[in-house]
Amino acid sequence: MGDLQILLSFPPDDVAKLTRKKYDDAINKYIQRLEKLPSTTWLKLVDKKNLLEMLNPEVNSIPYMASLNSQMKAAGKDRSKIELLLNYAVIFLATFDPVQVRYVGDTWLNVLDWTLDMIPESGSSDLSPISSAMLRLDPTAGTFTSTHLRFLRKCLEGGVPSHALPILDKNIYAMPTTPPKFLSDEYLCDDLELSNTFITPKSGFTRKIQPEYVLEYYLLGAHIYLGMRNHARARLFLEYAYLHPTIQHSVSALQVEAYNKWVMVGLLTEGKPYPIPRTHDTGVMKSIRDVARPYDALAESFVKRDLSKYRAEVEVGLQIWHEDGNLRLVKEAESALLRFRVMDLQKTYAALPIGRVAVHVGYPPDTTLQWVTEMIRQRHLQASITPHGSGDAGDAVLRFHQSTPGSSAQFDDDLEAQTQRIEALVAHARDADRRLQLTKEYVEYTKRQKRSGPDAVDMADQMDLSWENNGVGGGLMTGSAGGMVGLDEDDGDEDIMGGF
Amino acid sequence: MAAPSTARAPAKRLRHDGARTPDHFHLPPPTFDLDVWAGNYEGALLPLRLAHVAIHCPALARPAIALAVAHAKKSKDVRLYTRLCELAGQLGFPDVGAPDAAWAARQEEGNKRELGRLEGELRGYKNNLIRESIRMGQEDLATHHLVTGGPPPDPGAAAAANPHALAGAGYAVAYQAFGKMRDYCTTPTHMASMILRLVYTALLQAVAAQQLGSSARQSLDLVLSNCARLRTCGVKEEEQARLIPIAAAMSGLAHLGQGSYRDAAAAFLAIPIAYNLLGPVHTADFGRAVASANDLAIYGGLCALATLSRQDLVDCVLGGPFRAFLELEPHMRKAISLYTTAKYQACLDTLRHYYSDWSLDVFLGVPASSLSSASHVDVLFAHIREKSITAYFSSFSSVSLASLASTFPPTSTSPTAMEEEVLAMIDAGQLHARLDVVNGTLVAPRRELRAGTHEDARRAAEEVERTLLLRLHKVNMVLAGLEVPRSKVGWEGQGNGLVF
Repeated sequence: MGDLQILLSFPPDDVAKLTRKKYDDAINKYIQRLEKLPSTTWLKLVDKKNLLEMLNPEVNSIPYMASLNSQMKAAGKDRSKIELLLNYAVIFLATFDPVQVRYVGDTWLNVLDWTLDMIPESGSSDLSPISSAMLRLDPTAGTFTSTHLRFLRKCLEGGVPSHALPILDKNIYAMPTTPPKFLSDEYLCDDLELSNTFITPKSGFTRKIQPEYVLEYYLLGAHIYLGMRNHARARLFLEYAYLHPTIQHSVSALQVEAYNKWVMVGLLTEGKPYPIPRTHDTGVMKSIRDVARPYDALAESFVKRDLSKYRAEVEVGLQIWHEDGNLRLVKEAESALLRFRVMDLQKTYAALPIGRVAVHVGYPPDTTLQWVTEMIRQRHLQASITPHGSGDAGDAVLRFHQSTPGSSAQFDDDLEAQTQRIEALVAHARDADRRLQLTKEYVEYTKRQKRSGPDAVDMADQMDLSWENNGVGGGLMTGSAGGMVGLDEDDGDEDIMGGF
Repeated sequence: MAAPSTARAPAKRLRHDGARTPDHFHLPPPTFDLDVWAGNYEGALLPLRLAHVAIHCPALARPAIALAVAHAKKSKDVRLYTRLCELAGQLGFPDVGAPDAAWAARQEEGNKRELGRLEGELRGYKNNLIRESIRMGQEDLATHHLVTGGPPPDPGAAAAANPHALAGAGYAVAYQAFGKMRDYCTTPTHMASMILRLVYTALLQAVAAQQLGSSARQSLDLVLSNCARLRTCGVKEEEQARLIPIAAAMSGLAHLGQGSYRDAAAAFLAIPIAYNLLGPVHTADFGRAVASANDLAIYGGLCALATLSRQDLVDCVLGGPFRAFLELEPHMRKAISLYTTAKYQACLDTLRHYYSDWSLDVFLGVPASSLSSASHVDVLFAHIREKSITAYFSSFSSVSLASLASTFPPTSTSPTAMEEEVLAMIDAGQLHARLDVVNGTLVAPRRELRAGTHEDARRAAEEVERTLLLRLHKVNMVLAGLEVPRSKVGWEGQGNGLVF
């Protein structure tokens, strides 16, 4: 029974009073002890009961998880065992102690992966245990892991894209990177604000990440948002993908795909392509647009509101849209084009009979009436229709309203929420800055700046006295403006952000 | 050279080929008396002016063409003479147009002899290497080209089949010949004299080209650049004072010809009144040869009305130095003051009264662009009308189309003319209003400042958040070394399967 004692030796009763350092020592020692146990420990029955029955996943997360992991391996393809273990796993994933598991990331990932594979096989399509486990480990889900992508794929395979939303809705703030050695005065058990301090390539919480994983994640995410009609978010994801930094202007096919969809989303929502973000790489952009010419052609006729030309483009490129899987988007944009044609009318008209709308869009009045009614119902159009006494569809009057925005209080709330989001973002941006400053490249850059210093410093002393007074780090990195918005502490860092 | 551009579409405007609306060819008789009017002008431009009148005003066609032929016969330009005779035939006055073949042959022969003599003299001067003599010889030769319409075209060339084709080319030869004087000019005064001739020749070239229905843009550009040289040629102050009015007036004409009315207005308004009694400068009297001060008053007044705001009209036109010009043409002054006192209808009526006079002017009556048949007068009138409507509407929140139509009688008789005009103006962004077709009213948009600002703030916040996220993404990817890699092979090798 010694084994069980060892298993239960952590956490000690006075765990709440332990300092961070002591806690860290204790848990490390505990893990070492656990590793020395024979592997059969995890599979043995204790008091004729499964070890998992004895342990509380909330308190004894580590042994519970280890046992679960071993039993999963042992279960192989045995259906009934899998069923049983799956129940345990789901319980574990819902209750584990997020601080303890930080010390044994690879086991945690094994359990999660196994569960992720087994849930669909067991005939269930409910993937929420996975997302809640991910959020339990890292409430921000802001550090990208291989699980992000795997989970997303499973959601799509299982036909439950909406289950991915809890994860998708969180912004990715960081990538798992190896922290510089000399900085490890933090303990894993600390109350860490940023998840990327404990999710690192070595932590075991993620497999090795490849650039295409990130691209694929964002592209699949954009697909889901497109399906959900969350165009703003889809746009962001697509921009992530096609603005992905590249080495020497190389371009990934995934980026082209993202660009194609991005053009279409712009047409759907704004009636014209979105402006290309300023951070783009012109070389990459050129190669992308060379390949994406059919879509740019579509956009061109869309912007001109030229329905027949648009249709002709669609007809000509049918093969392309089909192969790219964008046929539905293209078709949807076609009806959006009609919609925008009507919406354009409100710039010119305050009220007009449906008959004239019909002439403008080139449909019979009955169809037009139906279709404008539908637009109003879907809130694309702020307008009302007054039927005419004669009952003739063409004589009904379409009257555009002045757009009436929501109440002021509602607006304030929105803005407040947005401000908070941005502030949170700024914290992450600072962190990214800090990490940047610790890179070898940055240190070398600074060194070089210093070396070429004497002259430059003299010039700066003469010319930029006010610079110093503003508390801007001595004109060390006066470069392109347009760094990150909202970062006013450290201008030097801003420049790196803008310069990359 | 103007030759290639004039080669196609010979004399298109000289014939009734329906290229322009019949209106332009059946103008009612003007308010001026032809003989008195013609007495104001002299030089090579006069026959062209008369030809313009003859083509466009049937009532004056006969006396005008007769006068033109008579003037041409007095000159040495045989080709101009034959061309005018042909035109007379086309207009249906074969008696006027019967060419005096004997005179033509004699004159042609004389011209040739004179040309040979001048060229021989010039060669002699060149051998003697006396710069001043060469300059004068060059000038004589160029002047000869100018008055004779250039050397006769090469027989056998394609142009021979088409006698009109080279009509403008003669002036181009003259222009080049004047240009050759440059190397032998020793004083700024010489330069000024040469540039004045260049300006005049280029203007002639432009008018000739316009009458033949080809583009005068190139020649007008030459006028503009020479006017700029004229301002900076470095002559003494009192001499410069005599050049400035000419430079301003001619550059105004060139801008007018190119359809840049705003620039034209600025140039015209800057002409010192000294232009009026300037007399010949370096033997060239621009007031009689090109445009009288009265003409400039009209040009300047129209351009200013069409482009300047009401306040500017009061300050710069009625209250500025240009008023002296306007005193020469009181009806123009009256029209402008009517406009500034918001009596738009009266202003437009006044202008319309002189429509015929102005359309018969050789600078105002030519088509404003090669794409449409509308002359500068038409375009300027349309601008003034649009401006009036916009200004009229600015003081109302809603105006019925009927009252609008009574203030500004529609230009065409179609029942929807007013509506179409207003719609076109809204579409062009000139009129900020929306049309209520049902009630037949024009409604001013209500701008809700508060809501608008809120909306802007929301958009800005969204944009900031998105930009921040995109940049953070970029930094993170670079930090983690997750750029799209360079080598294609490596990319494809690992790109298609994601296996954990």
